[in-house]
Amino acid sequence: MDNREAKFILNAYRPDGRDATDPRFSEALDQARRDPILEHWLEDSVMFDAAITEKLCAIAVPAQFRENILAGVKVSRPPRWSKPLANWAIAAVLTLMAITGSVIWHNTRPARLAGWQNKAISVISSLVRNESRFDAQSQKPAELVSWLRAHDAPAAEKLPGNIEKLESLGCKTFSWNGIPVSVICFMRPDGGLIHLVFTKAADGVRDNAPRFVQQGDWATATWRSGEMVCMLALEGREDQLRSSVL
Amino acid sequence: MSEADFEQLVDRQYAALFRFALSLSRSEADAADLTQQTFFLWASKGDQLRDRSKAKSWLFTTLYREFLGRHRHEVRFPKVELDEVREEEMSIWPNINALDSAMVLQTLNEVEEPFRATLTLFYLKQFSYHEIAEILDIPIGTVMSRLSRGKAMLRQRLLSREEALGNKIVSFQSEKKGESHG
Repeated sequence: MDNREAKFILNAYRPDGRDATDPRFSEALDQARRDPILEHWLEDSVMFDAAITEKLCAIAVPAQFRENILAGVKVSRPPRWSKPLANWAIAAVLTLMAITGSVIWHNTRPARLAGWQNKAISVISSLVRNESRFDAQSQKPAELVSWLRAHDAPAAEKLPGNIEKLESLGCKTFSWNGIPVSVICFMRPDGGLIHLVFTKAADGVRDNAPRFVQQGDWATATWRSGEMVCMLALEGREDQLRSSVL
Repeated sequence: MSEADFEQLVDRQYAALFRFALSLSRSEADAADLTQQTFFLWASKGDQLRDRSKAKSWLFTTLYREFLGRHRHEVRFPKVELDEVREEEMSIWPNINALDSAMVLQTLNEVEEPFRATLTLFYLKQFSYHEIAEILDIPIGTVMSRLSRGKAMLRQRLLSREEALGNKIVSFQSEKKGESHG
């Protein structure tokens, strides 16, 4: 290692001791101990860095900024964050519905969700409450679709146009009565969440147009896309969902 | 996360986040807005973070991505190439004590992205090169390269500012013992 290479590495060295055990720096530090010119440079470099840090950390933060952050987040928080007991109650109802629901998806009763859909909402609720984990996480929806395909899980051939543009959070797979189902969660522009669920279409399911169902706090839209059935779901009203689907 | 935990997180990170945002956006209003938005996003989906020890990293990563999302069209490859940072100038050190915080920030703001973000994360003493790589989503070698080139650019600009102010330039060979760089 020559001095130029050592300087290149030592430019990333934090002199407060936190990097002392990092083997990447060991050789460069040894070199500095052996070479007075490099040692001299390192001392100057460390002093320069410390001075810059001191100056940057002295930059004043706007007055009342902390209070503004706390107040801003408080008024922006979705209601579900400030009402944990209500969340638990909703989750309990949804879970009960998932357990007791036995209606298959193509049942034509408009106000009811099928069993796999209720299970999906239960899984989503669990993810939102941080009671379960994503199988894979990425902000790029295409990466999650690729992950699902690589793991032989259901995945739409093409994501809906308005959804494809959103930032994704992660995906999860589960099984309902032996049928594999996949969920991808997305971040909406308004800060809320929206979830896309896929499973293999049952024979006889032919609806290509979205079928909207409002069930409790959940709005859902379900349609067939090729060999898949897709369900879009969010905690909110049907009109919010329509703007995402249409 | 309880409100008390959230307040603690804000207390620990808001000043450093604001300073990072300020170095990126070069505007106090934009920096405040970016910081506020970052904490809002934490309140919206931060609970999905499995490892709470990574909250600090998450906040800085989110703020950086928010900045990129808003200013993507402004982020260009740097105009200054390494060749312009001449080797002889690398051995000259500016006297930082002659400059106040605002001047140092102003000079840092003259360093082009993506070097500026890397430098700020390093100088705020928050992050190792590993963490910077993770936040900016770049390889470790790129972090080191940006630090090396970014520091050289910063020093060049600080020296120019000093010269403009008529301050003494302290050379590598003549300074040392008894003369402080700050």
